Amino acid sequence: MIKKEYIRSVLNIFASSPFKPLVMHANKGGDCVRKLNESIMAYCDGNMEIVEELSSQIDVIEHEADVIKQTIRSELSSSIMLPVHTDDLLNFLKPQDSISDDAQDVAFWLTLRKFEGPDEIRNGFRELMAKTLATVEMYEELVSTLGELLETSFSKRDVEDTLQFVTKVEEMEHQVDVIEKDLVKQIFRNEDKIGAVGVYHLARLVRGIGDIADKSEHAADRLRTMVLRR
Amino acid sequence: MSLFDPLVLLLIAAGLYMAWNIGANDLANAMGTSVGSGALSIKQVIIIAGFFEFAGAVLFGKRVTSTIAKGIIPVDSISLVDPHLVAIGMLAAILAAGFWITLATFYNLPVSTTHSIVGAVLGFGLMAAYYGIIGFEEIKWAVLGKIVGSWLVSPLLGALFAYLIFSLIRYFILQKADDPYNVEKKFVILQTMTACYIAFAHGSNDVANAIGPLYAGLHSLEMAGLAIPLWVMALGGIGMVIGLATWGYRVIETIGTRITELTPTRGFSAEFATASVVVLHSYSSLPISTTHTLVGSVIGVGLAGGLAAVDLSVIGKIVVSWVVTVPAAALTSALIFAGLMGVGF
Repeated sequence: MIKKEYIRSVLNIFASSPFKPLVMHANKGGDCVRKLNESIMAYCDGNMEIVEELSSQIDVIEHEADVIKQTIRSELSSSIMLPVHTDDLLNFLKPQDSISDDAQDVAFWLTLRKFEGPDEIRNGFRELMAKTLATVEMYEELVSTLGELLETSFSKRDVEDTLQFVTKVEEMEHQVDVIEKDLVKQIFRNEDKIGAVGVYHLARLVRGIGDIADKSEHAADRLRTMVLRR
Repeated sequence: MSLFDPLVLLLIAAGLYMAWNIGANDLANAMGTSVGSGALSIKQVIIIAGFFEFAGAVLFGKRVTSTIAKGIIPVDSISLVDPHLVAIGMLAAILAAGFWITLATFYNLPVSTTHSIVGAVLGFGLMAAYYGIIGFEEIKWAVLGKIVGSWLVSPLLGALFAYLIFSLIRYFILQKADDPYNVEKKFVILQTMTACYIAFAHGSNDVANAIGPLYAGLHSLEMAGLAIPLWVMALGGIGMVIGLATWGYRVIETIGTRITELTPTRGFSAEFATASVVVLHSYSSLPISTTHTLVGSVIGVGLAGGLAAVDLSVIGKIVVSWVVTVPAAALTSALIFAGLMGVGF
């Protein structure tokens, strides 16, 4: 079937689209955070076996996300022309990739030490995690609008729709920040009950979860730049 | 001279082989985009392509055929020395172009049949001049310059047309539609029309690559008059359709399954632009590469923001193929001509 390849001149002009893998990559990040949510629930219930199990599951998903990221990067050679600036696309891929990285980090830190502390902190973690997960899922919705954007080749209306999602992600990230600060304060107030190492560990967890929301907001912001700066 | 003279039979066979090659590869290339966007099934494409390719060749293929047959080298002057020389030279040209195309196919090079045949005919002319049959200055360099210029202009024009067409569709239709996927469905019908258009355009321009040299040979042997006989045009058309049906469908299939980015609105823009540019050149009697024009048009759609990813490195490969094909085909053709003369044909 050598002759089949004679069509190269027409076929080679079509490079593989980075946008579908981009959406897949965002969903891998979402999957990590959904697993992390389960892990936090198990952690608060003191179920450390499940925490361990979920940590290794997240490791696998994070690796899959890395492979997708590497594929996207390796296929964007200098001769590829996209409807957006390639630099902008790569700039937004980076914080998006950090979502799964940070989720993996928190999942690992959960395995290090059992939860010891009052219920109000337990509830604080549940609330923080729920809001973070909601932020990441809103971010996934934002990324999924890219398909429609490409279809209409960036119509004004679709660009506005996408930008609304960006604003929503930013608002939710702000709410995560507020919960995050309250929770850290609570942890330090309970220093005598939790102990110094306990405070350090829990504060580290809070920062880790907050980072996930931060990265979603960061990626959403970069996505806005990418869509607007075409 | 009889139709069953070995030289005449060889000429016809070589012309048919060239036509087969064009149908199997170039035509399939042009039609593949319609399958890729899901507008048509492979069977439908072959029927449409067969009919309109034939129509384009027979109804509108004469101008470019004349250019290839007598526009590049002064066949009448050569004919005055010996009519057989033209037939032998044109046979050498088809063989050289056919050989080059087969080789390029084998090594996956994006070589155009148009460039090969123009180079090959030029090679024959140069050898004739080397033998002193004609003067070097008798070769129609101005026409050749125009042809080479059109190779540069046609992809650019394709890109410009496609850019404008897609921008209009985008501004007036896609961006105002509530459901862009519904728009794509409606464009399927329009794309069926452009598939016919592009097959017609391709037939009108590329039939010359096969039957231009054939006609020149037959004319010098006084088997064809000043007007190109219908049976010769039909021969080219049939050859291309057979090429499409016996091999081209595989090429269409491959393209169709690999080009998924080209939705009906994008496919329509690229095909309409390509077909218009090719028909324009057929009207101007200029032989151009449909495939290269199509590549230009796809880039045009990409520049208008219509495609998710376009690989521009193809441009470099096409430029290299321009620079290499013409001298290589010319040299091969000159050598075959010299060889046939040596054998004492």
